[in-house]
Amino acid sequence: MSQVHALSDDQVGQELRKMTAFIKQEAEEKAREIEIKANEEFAIEKSKLVRQETDAIDSAYAKKFKQAQMSQQITRSTVANKTRLKVLGARQELLDDIFEAASAQLADATKDEGRYKDILKGLLLEGFYAMNEPELAIRARKADYDVVRQAAEAASEEYKEKTDKDVKATIDEENPVAEGSAGGVIIVGGNGKIDIDNTFEARLNLLKDSALPAMRKALFGDNPNRKFFD
Amino acid sequence: MSAQNSAGIQLLLDAERDAAKIVQKAREYRTKRVREARDEAKKEIEAYKAQKEAEFKKFEAEHTQGNKAAQDEADREAEARIREIKEAGNKNREQVIKDLLHAVFTPVPEAMAAH
Repeated sequence: MSQVHALSDDQVGQELRKMTAFIKQEAEEKAREIEIKANEEFAIEKSKLVRQETDAIDSAYAKKFKQAQMSQQITRSTVANKTRLKVLGARQELLDDIFEAASAQLADATKDEGRYKDILKGLLLEGFYAMNEPELAIRARKADYDVVRQAAEAASEEYKEKTDKDVKATIDEENPVAEGSAGGVIIVGGNGKIDIDNTFEARLNLLKDSALPAMRKALFGDNPNRKFFD
Repeated sequence: MSAQNSAGIQLLLDAERDAAKIVQKAREYRTKRVREARDEAKKEIEAYKAQKEAEFKKFEAEHTQGNKAAQDEADREAEARIREIKEAGNKNREQVIKDLLHAVFTPVPEAMAAH
């Protein structure tokens, strides 16, 4: 027996249309969901990647900038130093030149015998007072022996006057002062162990240190940066 | 009857197939978007890096220039001061030499306190 058709042809067609529409609609809704999700994931992933990398770039460049600044400071400081050294070098040259010129003129004092004798007497007395011994040896240039002998006598006399002590100062002829010296004497005491070098060269050498402050002032004026004057 | 039935079923099968295509397209879109995220991110990152590099290069160039200027000025200053020194030196040289020699030739014997 044939079935009773519950639905007419039209109704079937209608039902079919409804069902296909439903299938399509479901598919489109699902597709839309997927698309929305896709766009969200896109945004999140992109911003995460960008942020990660830009942070890394920022910290790398922060380091670079800092290093560039440091090297900049180092360069500046080096430049300042070099300049200072140049200026100091020029000063030193000038001072050296002055000492050399003075050194060349040391022999002038020996030209006038009277003056030289006075100077020698003073040099010997310096030695006598400093040594404070009854017997001393004197070293001098061979050419000066005579004038030194006379000066030594005068010096011993003054020594006796001032201190009431005797001093016997004899020239040590075995150990003369070198020929090249410009003049002056060396006073030897303490059993030959202590000597006071009062040759002109030695005195000038001492001045290389002790005279510097006064020279600086005379040549370059006062130092505006100096704070201590004792 | 069965012909009608199979026609109906065919319609439904076709609808399912179309639906699957729609969803498949959406899935492909999703995959594409993931790739696009990476590509776009990469472009933005590179642009940022290039910008930073340009800033840095500018900074360096400015400072190289600054350094050279500082060096030139320092050289000029040094020369001026050296000139000053030489002038001052020449002016007072003779007097200072005289003073030095005077100190060499002027002993200052001072009696020490007697024991």
